[in-house]
Amino acid sequence: MSLRIALVGNPNSGKTTLFNALTGSNQSVGNWPGVTVEKKSGIYKKDNFEVEIIDLPGIYSLSTISLEEELTSNYIKNQKMDVIINIVDASNLERNLYLTYQLLDSSIPVVVALNCMDIVEKQLANINTVKLAHILGVPIVPITASKKMGILELMRQVEVLNHTKRQVHPIYNPLVESTIQRFTDILQDRFFAIRYFEDGEKAFTKDCVLKSKLPQLEEAKESEKEKHGIDFDMVLPNARYESIEQIRDEVLSKPLLETISTTEKIDQVLTHRLFGIPLFGLIMFLVFFIAFGPMGSFITDGFVSLIELFFQLIGQGVEAAGMAPWVTSLINNGFFGGLASVVGFLPQLMILFLFLSLLEDSGYMSRAAFIMDRALRRFGLSGKSFIPMLLGFGCSVPAMVSTRTLDKAEDRKLTTMIIPFMSCGAKAPIYGVFAGALFARGAYVVVFSMYILGILVALLSALLFKKTILKSASANYLMELPEYRRPTIKNTWIHTWERSKGFLIKAGTILLGAFIVIWFLSYFGTVDGSFRLLSEDEIEFSLLGQIGQFMLPIFQPMGVYDWRATVAILTGFVAKESVVGTLGILYGVSGDVIENGSALYPYIRAAFTPVQAYAFMAFALLSAPCIAALAAMKKELVSMKWFLFALVYEMGVAYLVAFLIYQIGSMSSGGILTIVFLLIVIGIVASTGYRVFKNKGSTCVTCSGCVVDKSCTRSELERKSNTDVTQE
Amino acid sequence: MTLKDIKPGQTCVIVNVLTNNLRKRIIDMGLTNRTLVKVKKLAPLGDPMEILVRGYLLTIRKAEARTIEVTLVEEVK
Repeated sequence: MSLRIALVGNPNSGKTTLFNALTGSNQSVGNWPGVTVEKKSGIYKKDNFEVEIIDLPGIYSLSTISLEEELTSNYIKNQKMDVIINIVDASNLERNLYLTYQLLDSSIPVVVALNCMDIVEKQLANINTVKLAHILGVPIVPITASKKMGILELMRQVEVLNHTKRQVHPIYNPLVESTIQRFTDILQDRFFAIRYFEDGEKAFTKDCVLKSKLPQLEEAKESEKEKHGIDFDMVLPNARYESIEQIRDEVLSKPLLETISTTEKIDQVLTHRLFGIPLFGLIMFLVFFIAFGPMGSFITDGFVSLIELFFQLIGQGVEAAGMAPWVTSLINNGFFGGLASVVGFLPQLMILFLFLSLLEDSGYMSRAAFIMDRALRRFGLSGKSFIPMLLGFGCSVPAMVSTRTLDKAEDRKLTTMIIPFMSCGAKAPIYGVFAGALFARGAYVVVFSMYILGILVALLSALLFKKTILKSASANYLMELPEYRRPTIKNTWIHTWERSKGFLIKAGTILLGAFIVIWFLSYFGTVDGSFRLLSEDEIEFSLLGQIGQFMLPIFQPMGVYDWRATVAILTGFVAKESVVGTLGILYGVSGDVIENGSALYPYIRAAFTPVQAYAFMAFALLSAPCIAALAAMKKELVSMKWFLFALVYEMGVAYLVAFLIYQIGSMSSGGILTIVFLLIVIGIVASTGYRVFKNKGSTCVTCSGCVVDKSCTRSELERKSNTDVTQE
Repeated sequence: MTLKDIKPGQTCVIVNVLTNNLRKRIIDMGLTNRTLVKVKKLAPLGDPMEILVRGYLLTIRKAEARTIEVTLVEEVK
């Protein structure tokens, strides 16, 4: 393969914009769904010069904490590229140069692309790039990625550097250099010597040959420690930032400290002490109102009728072709019927994705996390998990994909597993029909209570996971608030389209397979002793109907006594929106029951009591999501074991809650009072016991809520009490 | 005195970063010894806090801020 170039830089420094600018014209963006991370690759071509460009996840430092960052770090450690383009955000020179220093420690040639966003264009005049290039000893190319400025010069430098392979290492102060030299003598590699200096044994990947030198290194480290006087792991960062401060003073004509004024002004409103939370609520409400309210429905309805028209035309063609009846049925009912119900959701999803991209690109998402972090912490979640959960109200699929922004694999798992409990848009028609039929006046309250129930189960599950199987979930929070940026049409479109495309691909592959299976089960069965293709009104005899009747006893404890409801539950696993449709077919209601749900009311009143209906709704809310969401869940959870666990857990919780609702709901008032009394007694005993246990167990009184046990060492406590004394 | 004790609008200088589970990340993001830090505001629910460091805005929980030792810088007017 030709030359390979990696884009490395801080998160939010404009890497992806540069990637699109470089590969734009002949874009062959391939997504490699790795573990939970994605690196993109594309081709840049100019005359005879052709290179492969790799876009890696953004990192602040080569010392990593998240899986996504590890990918980038390992990529550099394994020297998988010929040249690195290091993108440096000109408005944030100091912190960005820290990573540049780490990259310069390696032996891979580096070109620095000094990216200035629109807002900071004026500031470039303040940066002396010639001087900066001279001090660092690397080519520096000022670019404006969003306007494709400086791209040609950047790639010319890459070409030159690829021939010269020139790489200048930064030199630190003599004390630091002596330590580096000592490690280099052992490892025969300056880069890994420096990585070991910073990260200790974590510097080496599993199969690294240098790992065998560890005992020797540990010995050297012990003696080196004494020389420095401060914590060993702070030596190198301190030295780097000291050098960077010197550079800053030399190349900047005025300090950048006071330049964030626009962002500051916006934040005075959006993260205001009092208005911050209500404004957040309003923004979220607007997004959902536009996507799922009258406007979204209008667009969806139009789109759906277009699709149906299209499929009808094809359907007529298929029928006219005179193929075997089962082929016609498979194409019309299996393929098109299923696809129409899923693809019909595309407009609403695209609206949702569009707003999601806008909120992300503008920089508001980080503010939302900042505002809500405190409230979520007691459930083992961090502010960053909040956005995926909110998206879950729309559709679980994009919600689960967006968990990738979380720091640790455990946090991603935790959030992914609770997302299905957030009531997605497709579940709304189920509540509509059942609440409308049986709770007439209180219908809205009942529907609203479903959403609350979902949130409660999600939060309590998070707490349960955090306390038991996912103890290592950190729910860490340390987040940069990027400057507000005006989102560009191009980038917003790319984001929206990439996400929608993923949804479409899924609909075309996994879902299509599932639809064929469901079609077979619902349109084949034994009637009068012969196994054959069934017509629409014979669904009672279908294999699916048989399965529904067979499984009925399982669902009876939660109040389902009608096999039709069981079948509806089963079809709900394909797509929740088909639950109501299936009931319509089974009860023999003609026409579109989703649009005109009241036609179903008499049948539902006959088959369900209010308590039974409520239990059924709760089960539909909490049980395993549709196939698209399951596929997304499998992808984000990575391992089959976790996926199966999540599936079993969700089914278990759904069953338990529905069971409790039905059993308690159908008790006499005396029985309910007994249970309430029992619960109060248990509560009192438990809380007393907890208090006694807590007072006995805690040895760490002065530092309540410390993050790591280590942070609670005696020396710190003493220091703490000293400062307390001095304050008083 | 730790970063947690600094009020919005006040500026301080970092003396030391004690052990916490984000220590390395905090240091890498530029909170090294002798760094100037200005506290901008607290989140609506009182935590995390927003700080200005090395020319950019960073939000940090009080749990971590508690482990960053600082000295207050007097305002020069």
